[in-house]
Amino acid sequence: MDVGEDFGPWLARQLRLLDISQAELGERVGLTRAAVSAWITGRAVPREDMMRRIATAIGTDPGTVHTRTTDAVTGRPVSWYHRPAHKDGGREFGNAAAFAFEADVEVLAREATQNSLDERLDRTRPVRVRYTLHELSGEPLARFRDAIGWAYLRPHYEAAAAQEQKVGRVIAEGLRDMNERDRLVLLRVDDYNASGLTGDDYEDGRFAAVVRRQLDSNKSDDGAGGSYGLGKATLWAASRLGLVLINSTLSVPHEGRTARRLIGRLDLPWRVVDGQACAGPAWFGEPDTVPGSENVARSWWAEEETVERLHLTRENDEPGTSFLVVGAHDVASGINEHTASDDGDEDESVQAMHKKLLIALANNFWAAMTSGENTSPLLEASVRTLRNGVVVMKEQRVDPRLVQPSRTRALKAYFDGRTVDELTEIGQVAMAKVPLKVPAVRGHGKVAEHEAVLLVTAAEDADDGKPNHMVTMRGSRMKVRSARVPDLPLGTNSFQAVLLAGHAAGADAVEADRAEAFLRASEPPEHNKWGQTEELRATYSPTAHRRIADFTRAANNAVRELVGKRKERSEGGPKALRELLGLDGAPPAAARGGGFPTILDLDAFVDEAGAWQIDAEVKLPLRQDPWVMNPVARFEVRSGGRPSVGWARVVAGANCEFVDGALRFKAGARSATFTATTDVSTHPVRAALAGLIVDLQKTKGAPA
Amino acid sequence: MTDKPEPLPDRLALLSDINAVKHIGMGVRSGRENPPYIELGRQVTSLPDDDVRLRVEPVRDLIDDVMHLYPPAERTRADAWLAPRLHATLRLTRREAADEAMWNHLALAVAPDYLVWRHLPAKGKDGLPPMVSASRFRGAHYTQGFSRLWWAAELFRNGADYAPAVVACGNQDVLNTLLRLDIIDHRPTAQAMIRLVADGVARTGREVNALATVANAAAGTLLYDVLAEDDDWYGDALEAWVAGADSAPVVSRRRLPDGPADDPVSAPAVDTLAERFRELFQDAPVRGRTAPPEG
Amino acid sequence: MKVFPYRTLAGEVALRVTAVKQDQKDLHTSVFSGDERVVALHQVERDDWTYARIGVTATLPVKELDEGPWQDVSVVLVLTEKATNARTTAVLRPRGSDNAEWTGRIRLWRAAHRSQAELSVSVVATVDGVPGRIIGGSEDNWVVDLTARTPVRRRELQINEVDFATGSEEWLRPFKDAPWIVETSGDLPTVHLNTGFEGVSELLNSGGAPLERAVRDMLATQIATDIWTAVFHSAVSDLELDEEGNPEWPGGWRDAVLRGMLSDVLPGMSGIDALSEIHARRRESSGWNELQPRISYAAGRRAKVARNLGTAIRVLDASQKASKA
Repeated sequence: MDVGEDFGPWLARQLRLLDISQAELGERVGLTRAAVSAWITGRAVPREDMMRRIATAIGTDPGTVHTRTTDAVTGRPVSWYHRPAHKDGGREFGNAAAFAFEADVEVLAREATQNSLDERLDRTRPVRVRYTLHELSGEPLARFRDAIGWAYLRPHYEAAAAQEQKVGRVIAEGLRDMNERDRLVLLRVDDYNASGLTGDDYEDGRFAAVVRRQLDSNKSDDGAGGSYGLGKATLWAASRLGLVLINSTLSVPHEGRTARRLIGRLDLPWRVVDGQACAGPAWFGEPDTVPGSENVARSWWAEEETVERLHLTRENDEPGTSFLVVGAHDVASGINEHTASDDGDEDESVQAMHKKLLIALANNFWAAMTSGENTSPLLEASVRTLRNGVVVMKEQRVDPRLVQPSRTRALKAYFDGRTVDELTEIGQVAMAKVPLKVPAVRGHGKVAEHEAVLLVTAAEDADDGKPNHMVTMRGSRMKVRSARVPDLPLGTNSFQAVLLAGHAAGADAVEADRAEAFLRASEPPEHNKWGQTEELRATYSPTAHRRIADFTRAANNAVRELVGKRKERSEGGPKALRELLGLDGAPPAAARGGGFPTILDLDAFVDEAGAWQIDAEVKLPLRQDPWVMNPVARFEVRSGGRPSVGWARVVAGANCEFVDGALRFKAGARSATFTATTDVSTHPVRAALAGLIVDLQKTKGAPA
Repeated sequence: MTDKPEPLPDRLALLSDINAVKHIGMGVRSGRENPPYIELGRQVTSLPDDDVRLRVEPVRDLIDDVMHLYPPAERTRADAWLAPRLHATLRLTRREAADEAMWNHLALAVAPDYLVWRHLPAKGKDGLPPMVSASRFRGAHYTQGFSRLWWAAELFRNGADYAPAVVACGNQDVLNTLLRLDIIDHRPTAQAMIRLVADGVARTGREVNALATVANAAAGTLLYDVLAEDDDWYGDALEAWVAGADSAPVVSRRRLPDGPADDPVSAPAVDTLAERFRELFQDAPVRGRTAPPEG
Repeated sequence: MKVFPYRTLAGEVALRVTAVKQDQKDLHTSVFSGDERVVALHQVERDDWTYARIGVTATLPVKELDEGPWQDVSVVLVLTEKATNARTTAVLRPRGSDNAEWTGRIRLWRAAHRSQAELSVSVVATVDGVPGRIIGGSEDNWVVDLTARTPVRRRELQINEVDFATGSEEWLRPFKDAPWIVETSGDLPTVHLNTGFEGVSELLNSGGAPLERAVRDMLATQIATDIWTAVFHSAVSDLELDEEGNPEWPGGWRDAVLRGMLSDVLPGMSGIDALSEIHARRRESSGWNELQPRISYAAGRRAKVARNLGTAIRVLDASQKASKA
């Protein structure tokens, strides 16, 4: 039987909700307070007939008492709870963690998606992440504002916006944008096949880590790559109203339930509203009844209709979480700053964010999204854009191949076992193993040798990042660093290299667990390199970082080996002399004379009589004396001398005259035009058969 | 007149330009002086000893014969006789023939007397005595006295058949004009042009020049390789021919020898281009030609 | 400025080598370089190979092709070498659905090539009913270098360090007293440095102290001036004339030398005008002698006389001051 919550905690909550004491319930069912207490503490369970009596006593049906998947009483109305100011008078002007990040959808995409990857539930299937940009205006916007209790929030926003601090200004702009332009951008991040926000509202667990605490990382995965809980702050940073609503479907039931666990969190600076000083954060939820947390807004199990009104409906009951960033903006791109007010620009702002998300997801997670013939990806991601519920840009699955064709190809070849030992053709992927010696923890035990996988392939012509770089990854194929491979010989073909270490090297890689832990310990909080850290020093040894240096060196060597060792050119001679013998390195002509007249543009066609008709535009260098030049036409040939062709007619245009078979350009003019027709009788071959070259040449005998 | 070298070197060798040039003075060019044969012998770079193709004797015999067969007045006709026989005697690959140092050696150390016999003009210029142009001793593949013959035989032969090369060398205008064009590196183009010469369509110097201009200009817009596709060339016939030098008899003085047994040029390709060139040529203005020749 | 009597492609046609096989062996991709556009076929391990097979991909501006007036488009790979008059072509085939990429391969027979072959691609189509029209081609061609071990373009005049008296190049013996000799024949002009001439090689390869470097650079400049003067004269003297008696651009290194130096020798003239002028002066010997100082000037500019001399004087000056102080 699918039974919900344990009886004790369930009953305790019902009593709190109804404000009934244990003694009072005992009285109603004809037992002592001690008996009720035994049920609540789980020392005893009431019999069947007693269940029915309890149902009557608390005003519900026996079924509810049996299944305990809902509360016997409707919850108290959902509302905002603002944390009171510190008693010590301390003031905070914005969430410190959120300040670590600029409002940048790229950063948001990176951090939020990494969190989803870390929370992947069924490890045989990808976690699916969907980004939805939804622009609201008019009636739909009004309805949404009602749903979040805007009337109660407004005084808080106005108080916050009136402040001079940075956060105040951002909020003021957000309010102005919403009020004056009547629009609001919602950015929703959904994941499916993820853990969901499990655990108690206040105790350790995913829910509390995300909703209550700012620097807590409660990660289920040892390979977790999230930024120690800093990552989630990017959600709030991306909201110019500091507001994020959450709907989670849990993988492990809480209070006997899994679907539609909702909460909202608002981060505002210290403020005084109606004479009441508020510290910073506020929560949107059900007022709690637990002693000590009375009236604190806690998550609630929402009705479908409520979820709908809050734009938080999930597409199925697969576990995972939806974050709704209210008033999403992107400082990094300047998008959404109210620089323009016509509709065209608004279109672009959301669409630009859409494109930016696609690229950010592809660039950061191409490896996790790459699949092989028999290897499913770790992640699937998509982006879509709506306006008032209507699709503006339809859902686009992020295709890593478009942004990272070479590296994706490398990884795919590795999954499919199609790598080679030596590159003999562009398009092949070469593989080598790179050893990593993992020292024992605090010197106890033996050194383990991990084999990382190095992949090298030619860089595509398409610009897929900087060529000749090696991307290092661990965990769920999380990029740690991309660095240029040093000391490559001249003439090396452009390539891309991928180094998969730890868990990224695959399930059957030798000593992957120890390597993973070791490498993670060698990462700074930014997770952007491997090197000496406090953790590495403390957990392993002060010299453990040398293993990392050895590893990097070995990897670079292996890349150089795979792209081809080159003998340095022995010929060439002394450098001092060689430098002076370059054929291409002609010094620029010293500035004198200023050049010569040239034909800048030429329109030409073959007329019905078979003659070339040309219309030429001439560029003239500045000179006091008039230029006198001959227009010369020649037929192009495959090799050797080009036969010249005579003119039937030359007609001077602007800034020139045609005198004695030469063009005499007006002194001081900078440009001129003329038209001309070739003399068919001088064509060595029909005009239709050959290319025509027209030049200006010095008139023979004319002054230089 | 220049004497036959004494001592005659045994083997062909390489004579670098810088050393060749200093001997191509007025005395040597006018035939009044012999090149310093002994000094030349010291300035060469020798080639592998075991290669029979590099023996000087068979080549020198050909030179002696050609000067014997043709009276000085008919010396231009000698080219058509000598070119295929020189080619068939030396059995060089193009790789080897592209080394101008070998032709320098042939010109100065092996047969300078031939160059004077063949190329000394009747009259001198600017009051100087008649002199062979220096470019016959050392020069591009289409001017040097020996390499022009070798390359004419190479570029105009049709597989093993030297007959088209004989036509080419039988007309000095063809040698002087066509041989320097890049378009004849496409075998069907070379054969088609020779066919027009053989058929008498282009005969005089002006006609050959006009034909060359027409074909060369049209090649700026048309890719003959597509209009008249040649079959792929394979190196094995040439390799066998080179290897066969060891056992090959002396080339016949009367019959035309056989060249390397490359596949003959695709006949339809030659037909296509010959027809095309004929049309183009009939359109072309040729000085001195009043009406287009009968096609 | 050049025009054609039919429409040609404006978009880029790109060519790249994707694989090289020598006889039966697949060579490592490091024998060719996409940046340098060079295939280096000289393998130290084996010098008796018969042929190389080169695989390529050409990329066409497919949108323009679809919208243009061209039919029966074909893409032809062309392998040529001036020195051996070799010309080989191969028809490429489209790959994929959009016909943007065309692939194929061509065989290079060693017996038919000597040093550097050029690999290019031509796009051919029927235009206005005329078949076989060249409508486009690769601008950046590849060099297949049979003499190079590394795929790097040779962009300098060559330097050969050899003992004139005892080296294998016997023809250099007569020059054993000279510190260097410039040779202008061959694929690229070469300066032979006589390692038997005591100190020259050491000096040119020296470094370290500013004074030492200054002397080194002065010597290099001196040699380079000599080289540029020699190669300029060589390039001018080998000019061929077309039927109308006008000089033709000679091609190869001579082209590069002339184009690079003529603007200093005869400033204010277009390239072809300067070429005609220099040829006329040389042939008629009128004004040729007067041009010599300008040729020296141009050679000196290529050899960076002003810079290196200036540096040397400053260094000398400084060292004198230092020794007085």
